[in-house]
Amino acid sequence: MLFRPDRRDFTLIGFYTGKVIFGIGLAMCVPAVMALVLGEYNDFASFLLGASLAIAVGRASELFLFTKEPLSTSHGLATVALSWTVAPIFAGLPLLLSGHYASYLDAYFEAMSGFATIGLSLANDLDHMSRSVNMWRHLMQFIGGQGIIVVVLTIFASAGGRIGYLYTGEGREEKILPNVIRTSRFIWRVALSYAVMGTTALWLSLLHAGLDPAGALYHGANLFMAAFDTGGFATQSSSVAFYRSSLVEIVLLPIMTAGGFSFALHYQLWMGRRNELARNIETRTIAASMLVMFAIMVVGLGRTGTFTDVGVMMRHSFFQLVSAHTTTGLATVPGRMYVTDWGVLAPAVLVSAMGLGGMAGSTAGGIKAMRVGLILKGLVRDVRKVLLPEDAIVVETFHSSTRRLLTDTQVRAAATVLLLWLVLYLGGGLIGLFYGYELQLALFESTAAASSGGLSVGLVRPDLEWPLKIVYIAQMMIGRLEFIAVFALLGYVLAIVRGRV
Amino acid sequence: MNTLGGHRKPVERVKVLLGAVGLLALLGAVVGIGQVLRHPDRPTGVPEEQLEGADPRDDINCPDPLPREGEPRDVNRGSSSVVDVSSNNLYDCPQSYDGQRVRFRGEVVGALLHRETGVWIQLNDDVYAELIGPLPAHRDYRGGNAGVGVMLPTQLAEQIDFVGGPQTRGDVIEVEGTFHRVDPSDEVAVIRADTARLTTSGEPFPDPVQTDRLVAAFLAVLLSGGMVVAERVVARQR
Repeated sequence: MLFRPDRRDFTLIGFYTGKVIFGIGLAMCVPAVMALVLGEYNDFASFLLGASLAIAVGRASELFLFTKEPLSTSHGLATVALSWTVAPIFAGLPLLLSGHYASYLDAYFEAMSGFATIGLSLANDLDHMSRSVNMWRHLMQFIGGQGIIVVVLTIFASAGGRIGYLYTGEGREEKILPNVIRTSRFIWRVALSYAVMGTTALWLSLLHAGLDPAGALYHGANLFMAAFDTGGFATQSSSVAFYRSSLVEIVLLPIMTAGGFSFALHYQLWMGRRNELARNIETRTIAASMLVMFAIMVVGLGRTGTFTDVGVMMRHSFFQLVSAHTTTGLATVPGRMYVTDWGVLAPAVLVSAMGLGGMAGSTAGGIKAMRVGLILKGLVRDVRKVLLPEDAIVVETFHSSTRRLLTDTQVRAAATVLLLWLVLYLGGGLIGLFYGYELQLALFESTAAASSGGLSVGLVRPDLEWPLKIVYIAQMMIGRLEFIAVFALLGYVLAIVRGRV
Repeated sequence: MNTLGGHRKPVERVKVLLGAVGLLALLGAVVGIGQVLRHPDRPTGVPEEQLEGADPRDDINCPDPLPREGEPRDVNRGSSSVVDVSSNNLYDCPQSYDGQRVRFRGEVVGALLHRETGVWIQLNDDVYAELIGPLPAHRDYRGGNAGVGVMLPTQLAEQIDFVGGPQTRGDVIEVEGTFHRVDPSDEVAVIRADTARLTTSGEPFPDPVQTDRLVAAFLAVLLSGGMVVAERVVARQR
């Protein structure tokens, strides 16, 4: 039974949404400074405008909606969903004003793609885009990958545990440390540590590739944000292929992999517990999945004769597979060629890899290795039950930071969410078919959007039909928030219309 | 939907509707500001029929039809005559052009990547390269970029003065060389060129400062500054 929301519900949701918008405004100051330094004065004005409007709205909510009431789960979830709906409007303003987006819808799509770390782009003439705007695209991935809410939790720590429900609303279930504020700050510590190491390694490899020091730093920093946050935006339209460097790809592989790891796993590794890598159910699931998929991909590419040299085939196919499985979306091969030169089997593997995704609690999207692992464990347990005597008690456990008992509830929950993901992938694919795209293209792009995979076969482009753009935006948001927050917001809307007093 | 404990007094639906309209008006205002302050719509003067782009739904007509997966491919090993190609030709039909001597023209973009064996460049042959020019000098949106990677001998790369990027239109060069689905240097879908000539010199293209945007930004800074001060004053009083 739904009750109609009262004034305090709206105040809470509006108040904390305002905090998120304020945080986005502060983030926009970074590219504003960069634009001023580089002499990109129109973009400087755009970022200043966007940041000021966001800050003004954020402070207005603090002024007029201030409350000390605690958040409930439903408030947190609804706040997250509303924040993710509203934030791209402010973040998209400097994108529209950059002159590289045909409409506000396209700019909104790009901002959502950035925050949700998808990597699909509607930018026109990316190769002539200003550096500050290009950096903002990548910074949105960095913010979104860690979680917009995590940004807020870190900055506004004085709100304390009251905003803990926001953390779980953004698709994060695991509290690494006892306090969500400490968890959020740990996430940032990991991200910034990797940023220093990763950017340095990329800078060196890009120098080796032939870039000048300043260019190597610019490209390296942006590439890091795209790879670690499994976002997939690139500074050049040809993605990683632009650099024509196996060394750059080798450096990117562990960065993407680190992005696909959960922050809980990072914590274990940070604490020196390296054996967690071998014992964790998710790393095991991903390792098995990678092995099987890589084998299928090699068979597929062997049948097409795309590559005649095994080493070259390994290089490009492995990179694409890691990029897909971590849902990063960086590419060393022109996307069109997945369809025209990679046959059917290899692209199908990429779609499957994107669909499965990375670890729960990471920057990656997709169904998540945890759910796949739990379902497989559940299957093994059920098979054992059938094979053993009736009165035998079958106990199955799994390891995720600690050893845990596998319960029916967990398996059922994982299966339910997996079903939702499949509906999301297929639903977007069906709508693509409606607009006349081939099944392979429609399914590939739908999975890329929903799973945050980001690899594209060229279907997502600026002159894409606008209803499809809206569908992909919805898929990106639903996929990133993993359904529940969106359902909560829709629940509030339903409660307003049909709720009881 | 459960809310907080204590006495509940739901907000009237009319007020909720007004609030929603207010929120939409606020967001609409942000969108409206963006629309008003966009770059001017300057005509490019290029006929529409020259600007039609590729659609993923278009049929691909390759010189050699693609066999079923698993069947041996009769990969073209190229004839000695030169074929004019576009990036669309090469990516749609890589098997047809593999090993083929091709002629390709495009704008140099991004950066020159000097290696021991030569220089990697990215040549874009999209409409921004030679027809309508780079954004944001106009508002003729024609999609993303399209181009091919080219390996040039070092001495041929020395004629390149302008590399396309922010506020710079790159040199347009025409190269002749062999297209490889997989190059001897292990790169995918690139041209290994042995001749190159400059056809159009690049140049910086100005992005004139939009005064109205600067004014709007200044006003927005005043607004946000005022809100920050007001909020701080009220917060201290709480």
